[in-house]
Amino acid sequence: MVSLTAKTVAYIDGSAYEMEPGDTILKFVDRHVGRGHVPTLCDAPQLEPYGACRVCSVEIALTADGPRRVVASCHTPLTENLHIFTESKNVRDLRRNIVELVLTDHPLDCLTCEVNGNCELQTVAAKVGIRKVRYPEGKNHLDRTKDLSHPYMTSDLSKCINCSRCVRACDEVQGQMVLSMHGRGFNARIIKGLDTSFAESDCVSCGACAQACPTSAISDVHQSKAIEATDSTRTVCTYCGVGCNLEVKTKGNEVLGITAPVGAEVNNAHTCLKGRYAFKFYNHPDRLRKPLVRYNGHFEEVSWDEAYDYIAKRLGEIKTQHGPDAIAGISSARCTNEENYLMQKFIRAVIGTNNIDCCARVCHSPTAFGMQKSFGTGAATNSVVDLQYTDCILIIGANPTEGHPVTGAKIKQRLMKGVTGIVIDPRRIELVPYAKHHLQLRPGTNVALLNMFAYYIWEAGLVDREFIEKRCENWADFENGLRSLDLDELERIHGVDREQVKAAALDYARAEAAMEFHGLGVTEHSQGAKTVMLIANLAMMTGNIGRPGCGVNPLRGQNNVQGAADMGCQPHQGAGYMPVDDPQWHETYEKFYGMPVSDEIGYKIPQMFEAAREGKLKALWLMGEDVVQTDPNSEAVKEAMNALDFLVVQEIFMTETAQYADVVLPAASFLEKSGTFTNAERRVQRVQAAVEPLPGTKPDGQILVEIMNRMGYPQPDYTPEGMLAEIAQIVPFFKGATWDGLGDNGKQWPIQEGNVGTAIMHVGQFKRGLGKFHFFPFRESEELVAHGKEFPFILTTGRLLEHYNCGTMTRRTGNGRIVTKDVLAVNPADAARKGIEDGDHVRIVSARGEVILEAQVTDEVKPGVVFTTFHFPEHLVNNVTSDVHCDDTLCPEYKITAVDIEKVLDEPGRQVHSSRIVPAEVFAK
Amino acid sequence: MILKANFSVMALEIPSTLEQEIDERITHYPVSKRSAVLPVLHALQHHFGYISEEAVEWTAKKLDLLPIKVLEVVTFYPGFRQYAPGKYHIRVCRTLSCAMAGSFDLMDSLCQAAKIDRSGVNHHHPIAVSEDGKYSIEFAECLASCGTGPVCMVNDDFHEKVEDAAALLGQYRD
Ligand code: SF4
Ligand code: SF4
Ligand code: SF4
Ligand code: FES
Ligand code: FES
Repeated sequence: MVSLTAKTVAYIDGSAYEMEPGDTILKFVDRHVGRGHVPTLCDAPQLEPYGACRVCSVEIALTADGPRRVVASCHTPLTENLHIFTESKNVRDLRRNIVELVLTDHPLDCLTCEVNGNCELQTVAAKVGIRKVRYPEGKNHLDRTKDLSHPYMTSDLSKCINCSRCVRACDEVQGQMVLSMHGRGFNARIIKGLDTSFAESDCVSCGACAQACPTSAISDVHQSKAIEATDSTRTVCTYCGVGCNLEVKTKGNEVLGITAPVGAEVNNAHTCLKGRYAFKFYNHPDRLRKPLVRYNGHFEEVSWDEAYDYIAKRLGEIKTQHGPDAIAGISSARCTNEENYLMQKFIRAVIGTNNIDCCARVCHSPTAFGMQKSFGTGAATNSVVDLQYTDCILIIGANPTEGHPVTGAKIKQRLMKGVTGIVIDPRRIELVPYAKHHLQLRPGTNVALLNMFAYYIWEAGLVDREFIEKRCENWADFENGLRSLDLDELERIHGVDREQVKAAALDYARAEAAMEFHGLGVTEHSQGAKTVMLIANLAMMTGNIGRPGCGVNPLRGQNNVQGAADMGCQPHQGAGYMPVDDPQWHETYEKFYGMPVSDEIGYKIPQMFEAAREGKLKALWLMGEDVVQTDPNSEAVKEAMNALDFLVVQEIFMTETAQYADVVLPAASFLEKSGTFTNAERRVQRVQAAVEPLPGTKPDGQILVEIMNRMGYPQPDYTPEGMLAEIAQIVPFFKGATWDGLGDNGKQWPIQEGNVGTAIMHVGQFKRGLGKFHFFPFRESEELVAHGKEFPFILTTGRLLEHYNCGTMTRRTGNGRIVTKDVLAVNPADAARKGIEDGDHVRIVSARGEVILEAQVTDEVKPGVVFTTFHFPEHLVNNVTSDVHCDDTLCPEYKITAVDIEKVLDEPGRQVHSSRIVPAEVFAK
Repeated sequence: MILKANFSVMALEIPSTLEQEIDERITHYPVSKRSAVLPVLHALQHHFGYISEEAVEWTAKKLDLLPIKVLEVVTFYPGFRQYAPGKYHIRVCRTLSCAMAGSFDLMDSLCQAAKIDRSGVNHHHPIAVSEDGKYSIEFAECLASCGTGPVCMVNDDFHEKVEDAAALLGQYRD
C-alpha cells in the first residue's frame, strides 16, 4: 500500500492502491498483487487486451458494499475509486465453470504433452480448482490432425482453446496476418492463409504465434515451450543489427530452444526466424574443432600450442623481413566489441601497423563516414522506439522486412496505422503497398533523386530556417547547389515522375516529426557516402534532428557492425574514432597500449587485396570473414589470397576463404561466448555464453589474448567484465559502461558515468558543433559509363529474410529448407523481349564473368533492372559484381553491375549450377 | 488500420454491371471502404450463388483487405455459402407455422424427388446439392407467409401450400 494523499486510487479486495494512466483492471491488479492472481487465458502481456475467454472475470462495485457486477478485467478500463473483488465465490464459480467447459473439448493428455508444466491452461485449471469435468462427453475436436508441413512451425489444433492469441500475435507483433479464426461457435478453428498449411501459407516463421499460444496447439519443431531445459541464458541475436534479445534454453550444454523475452526493450516477445530458430548450426558436424596448419601444402590437425608457435614464428619473420606494414588484419562485425577491440589492438600494438579493417567496409562505412562529416558521429541519431512518435517514415535503399525483420515489422505496423510512408527503392519491396509514396528510381541514382527531393522542400519554403541558423553551417553553399539543379536532367536520370518526388518531399517536410531509415541501397554505391550526407541534409533542413520521432537511422546489417567500427577496426581511426595520424591521439594510444603504434593510416580492405596482389602485403589475419565468397569480384580476391605468404583464418566452418589459409583456428559461435554487441541504435547489449565452446574450439577473444601473449604482449586473460573495463578507459562514449550496469536491456552510447545511456543524439547541439550541409552533383557510376552500352541491364542485389550473407550459418539450419536458391527477378516486359519464362535458366554476363540463375518473372523490378540475392555462393553471383567503390570509403558498389541476360537453352551435358543444399537428414532435430 | 496486399487475383469474371453495382455500394461507406465487405459479398453471392475463393480474393483486392480477413467474415456467417448451390436453390421454411403444416415432410419429399442426400448437412454447411448439381436445398427461417404453410422458395420464386414435391420440381426442369 502507498500513501494516498492526492493520488487517484482504486480498491482491490478492500485495500486502496495507486492507479496509473491507461490501467485496465487486470493491469492494475497484476501490478499490485502480481501477475497470475487473477487467472487469464486469452490475455498476453505482449498483446492488446481482447476479452474472449472471461476467465479473468472479477466483480466490481462503485462503493465497498454497493451492488456488484461481473466484468472481464483484462479489457475493462479502470476508473477512480472502483472496488474490485477478485476472489468472491461468485467469480470463483464462474471461472471454474468456464475452464470446465474449455476442458470438455481438450485432450487431457497433459502428461505426454510437449508443454507439460508450462501450459497456461493447465495452470489456470489448477488455480481455479478443477477436480472433475461435470459435463458429459459430447462432440469435440480431439481428432484434428497435426500440421507438420513446415521446417519450424507446427500445429496440433486438437489442443486449441480458441483464445485467438496466435491470430493477434501474427497481426499485432509480426503484422503478417497469416492466421485467422474460421467459422464460429463450435466450428470455429484456426486457419493459416486461406485454410492451408504453415508451409503453404505466407508465414515467415517468426514464431510469435507459437510463443503467444498458451497451449501446445501452435508450437515449433524445437519445442521451445517445453520445460525440459534446465538453464536459460539471456543473450543477443547474432544475425542482424536489430539486436534482438534471446532467451536460450539449455540442458547439459546443449541448446534446446530459444524464445524472445517478454518486455525486452528491443524486441518484446518478438524475433524473426533467424534469431529464434536458426541456431542448429552451432553444433553442426561441419564445425571446425581442431587448429589446422598447412604443412607442405596440406592441412594437418595440430594442438593450439603448435598453431600459436607457428603463427608467432611466421608473423615474427615477416615483420622483421618486410616490416609491420606487410601484415594486415580484417576483423568481424559478427564478433563482440571486446573481440573487435582486441583484434585492432593486436594489429596495432603487437604487430605495429594500422592495417586493420572490418566488414563494415563493404556495407556501412559510407554511413559512418558521411554522418561523421555532417553530424560528427557515424551512428543512428535516434532509437527504434521513436517509431511511436513519428508522423512520417522515409525508407531509402533498405528492405527492412527482409533485412531487419523485427524493425521492419514495427515499421509495417506503424504504416498500417496510417503513418505516412515514403519508400525510395528500385524494387517494389514488401513495405511498398503500405506506404503512401514509392519512388522507384533507377539503381545508382540516389543522389539525383535526393537532390530533387531537397529542391522541392526548399522551393516550397518548408525549410526550417531557425534550426539552420542556430545549429548548422554551409547552408548557403548547399542552397546555391539546389538553385543550380536542372530538374529535367534529374528526372531523366532517376526516372521517377517529378510530381511524385515533389509530393513525397512535401509530406516529409510537413510532418511534425519525420524519421529516416536507410540500408545498403544507399551505401553500396560509388556515391555512397555522398548520399548519406544528402540524407543528413534533408534531416537538417527540416529540423528533424535531436527530438523524438526523427533523425537519420542507418539499418546496420550485421549484428555488431556498429561496434566493430566503434572499437577501432578501421585503418584511419582507433578505438573510439580518434584519428591515428593525429599526434596527440597517437600519443594517447601509445601510452594506453604501452607500445609504439604507427601513425600512418593503414590499408582499407580493397587496398589490402591490391597490396597482396602487388606483393606488398605478405600476411593477413582474418577473423570470421569469408572474403572470397562475400567480397565483390571473387576472382581478384582469390588471386590476392594466393599471393599472400601467410594467411591466418579464425572461423567456425571451413569456408572458401579458409581453404587458402596457412593456419585455421577453430573459433566459437555467439552461443558459446560472452561480451557485448552494439545494435543499430547504439545499444550496447550483453552477449552471454549459453553453452561451453565445443571441445577443441575457443572464443575469438580468447584466441586473440593468447596469441598476443605468445607474441610477447601482456594482455590479461579474457573476461567480459575486464575487457569492457579496459575499453571504457579508452573509448570516450563507453566511459560509464560496466558489465553489470548494462543490465538486461543494455545501454545506448554515449554511456555516461553510472551507466547512463543516450536515446537521442545531437539534442541541442551536434557532436561536431554545427551540423554541416554538403552539396554534390550526381555522377554516373563508372561501371555503367564503361560497360553500360555493352551490358544494358542493371543487376542489383539484396538479401532475404531467411538467410544470412553467404549462408554459412543459416544454410546449416532449417532455413536452408525454406529457401533453397538465389533467383533472378526479371521484369515481364524484359522477359518477353528475351523469351524468358518463369523458372528458365538465365545467363547473366558482366564485364568480369558470368553466372547462371533461375528466372523469376515479376514486376517487382522495373524494366531494365534485374535483381538477385547472394545467399548461395555456389551460384557465384560475386563473379559478376563490379569492384567499383564508393569514392570516399572504398565500400564496394554491390548494388550496380552492368549485365546482359539471355536464356540458357538446356543443352544436354551443359553444366547448370545447382544448389548444394544440405539434405534434410543432416539437420540435427 | 489499412491493410493492403501484393497478391494477384485469379480469374473471376465480374460483369461490368455487377462491378458498377458493387462500386456504388462501396460509396455508402465513405470513412473506410473496408466496412463495405458485407454488401459486396452479398452482391457477389447473389450473382454467383456462392462465395468462391476467387471471390474472396477479388473482394479483398477491391477493399484493400487481406483475403484472410474476408474469409473470416464469409465463414462467420452461415448465410454466406462457400460452395456452389444447384441451378435451382430451394429454401424450405422450418419455422413453427410451416413446421406444423408439414414442412419437414416437404423437405423429405423434395429431397427424394430431386435425389438429394442431406445426411452431411450441419449448421455450418446447411446446403445439400443433388448429384447432377441441378438442385440444392436448405431449411430457411420464416419466409413471412405463415398462414399459407408449408412455404418454400425456389431461387427467387415463392411457393405456398406446397403439397406435391414432384409437381413443384416439374416447373424447374431445364
Ligand atoms: S510464425 Fe509468425 S508469421 Fe507465421 S503464423 Fe506465426 S506469427 Fe504469423
Ligand atoms: S492455436 Fe493457441 S493461441 Fe491460437 S487460438 Fe488456439 S490455443 Fe489460442
Ligand atoms: S530481427 Fe535481427 S536481431 Fe532480431 S532475431 Fe531477426 S536477425 Fe536476430
Ligand atoms: S483473459 Fe480476459 S477475457 Fe480472456
Ligand atoms: S413460419 Fe414459414 S413462412 Fe413464417
